[in-house]
Amino acid sequence: MVAVFKRELRSYFSSPIGYVCVAALAALYGFFYFVVMVQGSSSFIPNIVYSTMFNFSMLVIPIITMRSMTDDQKNKTDQILLTAPVGVTSIVAGKFLACFVVFFIASTIGLFPGVAMSFFSSPGWGEIIGNYLGTLLYGGAMISIGVFISSLTISQIIAAIGTFAVSVFLMYIDALASSINNAVVATVVSWISFSNRYTTFTQGLFSVSSTVFFLSVMAIFVFLTARRVESRRWS
Amino acid sequence: MVEVRNLTKRYGANLAVDHVSFTIDEGSIVGFLGPNGAGKSTTMNIITGYLSATDGSVSVSGKNTLDDPNDVKRLIGYLPEQPPLYLEMTVKEYLNFVYELKKCSLPRQKHLEEICQLVKIDNVYHRLIGNLSKGYKQRVGIAQALIGNPPVLILDEPTVGLDPKQIIEIRTLIKNLGRNHTIILSSHILPEVQAVCERIIVINNGKLVADGATDTLAHDLSKDHRLIMRAEGPEKEIVHAIAAMEHVADVYSLGEKEPGACDFSVESALDVDIRRDLFALMARNGWPVLALKNTDLTLEDLFLQLTSTDAAISGKEEE
Repeated sequence: MVAVFKRELRSYFSSPIGYVCVAALAALYGFFYFVVMVQGSSSFIPNIVYSTMFNFSMLVIPIITMRSMTDDQKNKTDQILLTAPVGVTSIVAGKFLACFVVFFIASTIGLFPGVAMSFFSSPGWGEIIGNYLGTLLYGGAMISIGVFISSLTISQIIAAIGTFAVSVFLMYIDALASSINNAVVATVVSWISFSNRYTTFTQGLFSVSSTVFFLSVMAIFVFLTARRVESRRWS
Repeated sequence: MVEVRNLTKRYGANLAVDHVSFTIDEGSIVGFLGPNGAGKSTTMNIITGYLSATDGSVSVSGKNTLDDPNDVKRLIGYLPEQPPLYLEMTVKEYLNFVYELKKCSLPRQKHLEEICQLVKIDNVYHRLIGNLSKGYKQRVGIAQALIGNPPVLILDEPTVGLDPKQIIEIRTLIKNLGRNHTIILSSHILPEVQAVCERIIVINNGKLVADGATDTLAHDLSKDHRLIMRAEGPEKEIVHAIAAMEHVADVYSLGEKEPGACDFSVESALDVDIRRDLFALMARNGWPVLALKNTDLTLEDLFLQLTSTDAAISGKEEE
């Protein structure tokens, strides 16, 4: 797992992909922070700046995950991974972690506005850290889904668009919940809703159940990806 | 060392490998021979654990691929048809990655250096794999298979796409490796397999059609009874004269190849050497023989022979 993780992470930063993802996010964060500052509404920092940053992050995830499983299949490098004495799950976990670390680096840059603010005033660190943690957990779950989707195809484009569609769908799933009449279905749908779980964090609250939820989603999709890779051997 | 039993692989309705069985002893070099699409790569992919079989079993050193996949994978070094290289890495990074991936415990620096010297890639050690020539990429692929010093090496068409000098180098390398490894290599070039391997397994349409020691198999099959003769003289008379000879099954002219001289294809009955009689006949008539040679056994001939006349040989492999 460690070998795959190191290789994948290095490959993000030996090609422009890693840098572009991190740089694009940093630039967007900076721009949005600047706009809010110019308007002079500094008290909205956690609510407005960070919630918008979160949306930007979600745009980058499909780009990070789109090549994770597709490239190996296309370049036949999966042959060396699958004939090495390591389990499929640890290969997939290594790839997932590499994607997550790229996202982690990009998201951590999002703490800079808070740090900059702290020189002039006292921003609500609870909310900022909450937003940061929530983004990481939500992002981690989305990355595991993106890795899974990329294992379904050998086309990076399809993987990216598929992940993007699922990402947007999950963001607006609670809108669906409110329009369902059946109470049970509505409850289930809102329970699945990633945004509801994320919102708790944005208010500076640490929710154990939401943390467990996101970690479970990651574990489930890493597991499903491994099964998907395994199933190709039998086809 | 490697035991394959009733191996079957089915892709939908297409039977890629059809009940193939063989056993390979420790320390031998075995050639997998067959045309493209015969099932060579599929068989190799199953042995290495990349694919799984529809039916049948593979065991290496007594360990089954289904029960202890990781133990079996540790015993095998595999060079797939297309070397599994990450083009954006340098040779050094790549070999270190493979070293870690295979969880090697040999002293890293020394082990990698030895391999690089063996396959002669130490001069490109710091270059990007994507910038290397095809020959060097192939060698990095072989280097990768050697990491961890696995006792079994499986090489899928190791010389394909190389220039003649590189082909000879790789063949010599494989022969040297054969001293302390069990090697299975595939090829669709008969002379290559003859040059390197001690034993040949021929696969066609997913079925094992022949299995035997290279010398005996090649001898059995290349009891080739077709001669190509170049002689000076009247074309039609020569054909008539040869056709009238004893033991001659077929003779025809291949046309004029030099001024006044034609090539003739002369096919004799099985197990009869007619060269002396042929020479005497030509000498008697005053037709100078300019050249006389056995036709080389080509893969096409081999398959024709195996698929037409070969109850005897395929019977042998079922023992």
